[in-house]
Amino acid sequence: MQKIEFHKLKIVLFALVVLSVSSCSKDDDLGDLSNLNDTIILRHKNADMPAYIHGNGSEKVFLITLHGGPGGMGLSFRGTAFNSIENTFALVYFDQRGSGMAQGNYSENGITIDIMAEDVLALVKVIKQKYGSDSRFFLLGHSWGGTLGIATLLKDQQEFLGWIQVDGTPNPRDLYLEYIANFERVAAEQIDIGNSIPFWELVNDLLLDVDPEFNRDDIPRLNNRAFEAEEKLNNDNLINMPNGGRNDLVFKYNLVTFFWTLINTQSKLDPGIQGVLSYTDRLPEINIPSLILWGKHDMVVPTVIAQETYDNLGSSVKRLVIFEKSGHAPFGSEPNLFADKVILFIDQNK
Amino acid sequence: MRKYILAHLFLSTLSLSAQDEVNTTSSFLDKTEFKIGYTGNLIWNNGLSFGAEYLWKEKVKIKEKKRGQKRTTHQLLLDGILGFTNNFSTKTDAGMFTNYGLTWRSTTTKGKQISMSFNPLGYYRSFLPETYEVKGDEVTKVLFPGRSYYAPSFSIGLGKLRKGKKLTGRYFNINLMYRTPYNAGTLPSISFQYGYRFNIKKKK
Repeated sequence: MQKIEFHKLKIVLFALVVLSVSSCSKDDDLGDLSNLNDTIILRHKNADMPAYIHGNGSEKVFLITLHGGPGGMGLSFRGTAFNSIENTFALVYFDQRGSGMAQGNYSENGITIDIMAEDVLALVKVIKQKYGSDSRFFLLGHSWGGTLGIATLLKDQQEFLGWIQVDGTPNPRDLYLEYIANFERVAAEQIDIGNSIPFWELVNDLLLDVDPEFNRDDIPRLNNRAFEAEEKLNNDNLINMPNGGRNDLVFKYNLVTFFWTLINTQSKLDPGIQGVLSYTDRLPEINIPSLILWGKHDMVVPTVIAQETYDNLGSSVKRLVIFEKSGHAPFGSEPNLFADKVILFIDQNK
Repeated sequence: MRKYILAHLFLSTLSLSAQDEVNTTSSFLDKTEFKIGYTGNLIWNNGLSFGAEYLWKEKVKIKEKKRGQKRTTHQLLLDGILGFTNNFSTKTDAGMFTNYGLTWRSTTTKGKQISMSFNPLGYYRSFLPETYEVKGDEVTKVLFPGRSYYAPSFSIGLGKLRKGKKLTGRYFNINLMYRTPYNAGTLPSISFQYGYRFNIKKKK
């Protein structure tokens, strides 16, 4: 009887050993790389930041995306354009420090563009650790993410095979003056052709009311009016209706947490960026292949900045693409063309 | 300073409850109700909470009205709660919390209740999915990843006393909990709590 019990015990112990060994080896089992759906957290400098990894990773080519804001949502990119890119490459949607569902415990000095750029480089290390050191990387930044992307590349561009800048400025210092110049130009054009005249007259009134030199208090007024202007341009058929957005995004992010985080992060970051920060003089240091994508009717980061960025980049392989029917988010208004340009660029430089 | 305040609140709670035990003939279980219920905000976080309420002080006011007696009971309760919530749509918003403090509750003749709770002693622990820590060039996988926060809470609620039933009452609270320090600030979160109270000792 005792022998039988002992035998059973041996079987149980053997089963436990097998289970332990198989669970230990699970980390190395990457599963189906062609259909990635992973959420991992990067812990760096007292912050825990989610990276949502989706798409086809069979070539181990990862496109790391940097959202706008500051304080936006990594997954807000997902939609027709990025879903299409996911069919070919792996997309890394990253909630930056103090954004989306990123959490942490750091002081007010613990959130700067320098530290956030270091976070992106740390994310590269984590992806290499998880998916293998043969992983290859491209970096894409939209709006604020474009500024952060440049800051990242200026720290270390060796890890990246290419840079995709989407409607983001390297020069937040002078954005205020660009707003005013762009509003003046577009308002004159639109009134001239008879589009939404009352609105553009209101824009002219605003321009008379705001400080002609940089004034932090006037930035939100100009920024809000820029988004309204894009709505008007959309109503007047100059910008395509954005489509393919994620209708389940509202369930992915706790909106109370999101908005609180957004306000909190902007209040800490903006004073060191708006009217202060400019990387224009350092753009020649960036020499990896670069693709500049911009909406022709971008009122939030005016199109003149696209040409300035293109002219100053040090890359020998660089291209500027203007989307004729887009504003600040060409991946929403011309998703198929956007996806084609990104896939072609990565294919040519991977 | 915060540590001293917390320690003071905790010790005064203990000493007050100890004094009360001396003055009463009811047992601890007679004066304690347990509760279980839903906690969450319906959209992003959903979970369960378990708790206990110990009757510390009670005052009954009786007013003679034309239609009969109007009896209002005011109670002060020491309460504690343990809850778990999860966002089933993503893996980035799961957590466990526990709160301790005081509840004031008023019960009418018909058993309708209103309550207010203040829980200065609170702890929230977030649970994170697969996490990697980067220090310089070193990348290590984190065991049991998550973060701890000081999490006091405040809630207001409605309820109903169920006399003579095993489930002695039901409640609906709106709860405001803070998590600090959270991303160089203090994160507010709002949740609903709906559940039932019960007493594990049969009443005479």
